[in-house]
Amino acid sequence: MNRRSLETEIGEVTLRNPVLLASGPAGYGLEYEGLVDLERIGGVVTKTISFESREGNPGKRLHETGGGLLNSIGLENVGAEVFFSEKIPALVDAGIKPVVSLAAEDWENYRMLLDATAGTDGVDIIELNLSCPNVERGGMAVGTNPELLAKYVRHAKDTLPGMTVLAKLTPNVGDIAALALAAEEAGADGITAINTVIGMDIDLAAGRPVFKRIRAGLSGPAIMPIALDAVWRISRTVDIPVVGVGGITSVEDAMKFFMAGAAAIQVGTAVFYDPVLPEKIIEALEETGMPGPLGDCNRMKGAG
Amino acid sequence: MKSLFTGRIIRTQRLSPSSHLVVFERPRGFPEVAPGQFVALRITSTITPLLRRPFSIMDLTGTELHLLVKVVGKGSDILAHSPCGAEMDIAGPLGGTAFPSPGKKDAVFVAGGTGLAPMIFAARTWKRDRSLGRAALVYGAGCEEELLVSLCEEDFAAVHLATIDGSCGFEGDAVALLEKLVEEGKAGGGMLYSCGPAGMVRAMERKAAAGFARHLTSLESVMACGVGACRGCTVPVKTDGGTVLRTICGDGTVFDASEIDWERWEE
Repeated sequence: MNRRSLETEIGEVTLRNPVLLASGPAGYGLEYEGLVDLERIGGVVTKTISFESREGNPGKRLHETGGGLLNSIGLENVGAEVFFSEKIPALVDAGIKPVVSLAAEDWENYRMLLDATAGTDGVDIIELNLSCPNVERGGMAVGTNPELLAKYVRHAKDTLPGMTVLAKLTPNVGDIAALALAAEEAGADGITAINTVIGMDIDLAAGRPVFKRIRAGLSGPAIMPIALDAVWRISRTVDIPVVGVGGITSVEDAMKFFMAGAAAIQVGTAVFYDPVLPEKIIEALEETGMPGPLGDCNRMKGAG
Repeated sequence: MKSLFTGRIIRTQRLSPSSHLVVFERPRGFPEVAPGQFVALRITSTITPLLRRPFSIMDLTGTELHLLVKVVGKGSDILAHSPCGAEMDIAGPLGGTAFPSPGKKDAVFVAGGTGLAPMIFAARTWKRDRSLGRAALVYGAGCEEELLVSLCEEDFAAVHLATIDGSCGFEGDAVALLEKLVEEGKAGGGMLYSCGPAGMVRAMERKAAAGFARHLTSLESVMACGVGACRGCTVPVKTDGGTVLRTICGDGTVFDASEIDWERWEE
């Protein structure tokens, strides 16, 4: 049988296929050697890095909920220097396509991080994490304010000529499509939606919240309808590609994201328990082709 | 090298009101493992429970993989009560470090709860390759019926038992019993191995471990990825360059207990 080409263009970049590992669960990629066929997937969105290394949050960091996972990792990462000198060359040498996730911290750190990114071999696509709920400064504050978000996106485009820039948005806002539009107008090449949904849980026996920071980020199948709705609305608002992420646990889930308007998808939490899911999605796409986006047919009226 | 395997349950046995032995047929191609390594099981093909569940390897023979399963929630409950013939997706062997053998030194193994599993595997592994000298087990549980005595009768030269309620052996926990043995000159000097709740290991390091050449511990944690990627199960470790965070799943599970920054660690 003829297998279809799944090459996917986003900005200046052509991915071998539209199935990526999501930032966070993917780590720096190579941790999954032996479990995930990393060369087969479209790319690995690496763990968000900040200019300086970060220790992340103290105390408990993971908590399983009904159909979901709350995390309070807090952007623990090795920092730009180690990342660009060690992690990226290792990925590139292994034939793995990196999509580099950058933290939108306070403005000074963000500027230094972009400067550190400039001129790194093997990096032609970045994803701005404008929406991590687990840190004090930056993150959510930037990602929920259209003017700030536009400023951060514009600066990335100005500092990194030729770089494809994805803006990763938070669902913890009133109108995610408005933020997507602000990112597009600021020059973003694509929108990644969504980041985790804010949630919390309580340890009944201990009589206190599960996490020290109380609120944490919810991922996993519990958030998929929220992500699907975000992709649906954003793809009807902007003309740039949308990368769908949030709770994909099956081939069928992935198909729904493409139908909702996604040009590519990311698998995150599901990789923890089903590391071959990205390959299964790629195989299904090769056999059946990419499902076309839903039109604005009558049945859809009132939904958007 | 870690990989994905399909394991078939060939035997289960209820060992106590809460603990079960679950024996898988050794999957074809499953590599040799070292004491302290673990597997992560996908308990069901549904999304409940969502994550894999990590289990220390209690034994690996040419034909069988043994796990000790204590029922603490939905995942362990399903696994413990799975019928023979049930198949499960096994990721493993996981864990980047293993227990070093005691060589010619005496070895004392301290186990709390299901921490017994890697202690048994270490003793059996080293007995098989003749690298285990005099070995004693110090093992504690809440009460007599939760002590899995039948599991550890053959692997150690001496077994010292403790129960919190005093229904069997020493009245108190395994740490207090270890301290007593050290004070009486019945243990110490050689290698100290442990696995159990972090509080147990922390208490050992506070006092009793000083009587030994080295204290190596296999740490337990809730895990998501199992491979060191997600940074969900970190522990602060003291290094020459200051305290750094290591993952229990990827950098461990075995650590030199004296190198853990116990003051900073909030489990």
